[in-house]
Amino acid sequence: MSERSVSKQKRGKRWYSVIAPEQFDREEIGETVAEEPDMVIGRTITTTLGDLTGDSGANNTKLTFKITDVGSDAAYTEFIKYELTRDYLRSLVRRGASKVEASITVLTTDDHRIRVQPVAFTTKKADRSQEKAIRRVMIDQVEAAAEERTFAEFVDSIVEGRLSSAIYGEAKTIYPLRRVEVQKLTLEARPEEVAAEEEAAVDVDEDEVAVEE
Amino acid sequence: MSETEENKWGIAHVYASFNNTLITVTDETGAETIAKSSGGTVVKQNRDEASPYAAMQMAEVIAEEIKAAGLEGVHVRVRGPGGNLNKSSGPGAQATISALARAGIEIGRIEDVTPIPHDGTKAPKNKRV
Repeated sequence: MSERSVSKQKRGKRWYSVIAPEQFDREEIGETVAEEPDMVIGRTITTTLGDLTGDSGANNTKLTFKITDVGSDAAYTEFIKYELTRDYLRSLVRRGASKVEASITVLTTDDHRIRVQPVAFTTKKADRSQEKAIRRVMIDQVEAAAEERTFAEFVDSIVEGRLSSAIYGEAKTIYPLRRVEVQKLTLEARPEEVAAEEEAAVDVDEDEVAVEE
Repeated sequence: MSETEENKWGIAHVYASFNNTLITVTDETGAETIAKSSGGTVVKQNRDEASPYAAMQMAEVIAEEIKAAGLEGVHVRVRGPGGNLNKSSGPGAQATISALARAGIEIGRIEDVTPIPHDGTKAPKNKRV
């Protein structure tokens, strides 16, 4: 290591405390260190739901936040990802039972595009047709939920488990279920990005697309 | 112990393969490295780089460094070779965690972050003796 880099390191690094978004009560979720305030923007920080709410039972959920704004010694974040831990998901998988997964991309009322991945575990091996029916219920439920909720409300409903219990309630008539969870929720595009895409999108006539013979 | 009275946390990324163990301690975002070490810093023989002994030595050095940096504890992210290679972590992983704990570093969550392919390239064929 050269002398210069050492002195630079010693001089100007500062710690910033990372603050959760309003939705999660502006809790402090951690600290990060950087030379320049600008360097902090874009970093992601992962914490568990239990740490955030002080409820130690809920440590199977990881929440990822991205730093979007930085103050003098605080960095502000937005929510970008909800995920179950790998070991918890693995613990739900049983031999001789089905796991039904779906991946759904929806637009919330305030134009956030999100991808939701619910997963259901049955008590015994389900038929393909039953799996399909369960998947259909998942898609319908998620789409219905997205149509009447904003991004923040949607995230709340998943964090509190309301969406998964809604799917459970409806899908258990198709086949006995052991557990329904949302294994992943990712923010794909913010309203500005969605708008920009629409701007860039071009209407294409059908005859133009037609392949030349 | 450190002069700073703060109780900061960091993340210890432990990559334990069967040929080496790499420990990197970063801040909670994983963007800033606070301390790092690998098997070669404590043992002479290449084949010892992955040994639990090397991992313990490394963890002790690391523990000193991160205490000096003002960290109170770390969350651990253990990783094996992964991908199309072996999914289990090497012998250095366990040793690192217990040595860190013994050196007075608090251990928070321990998580496995081995990369699991959602199907990719074919795994190497078995070595024949």
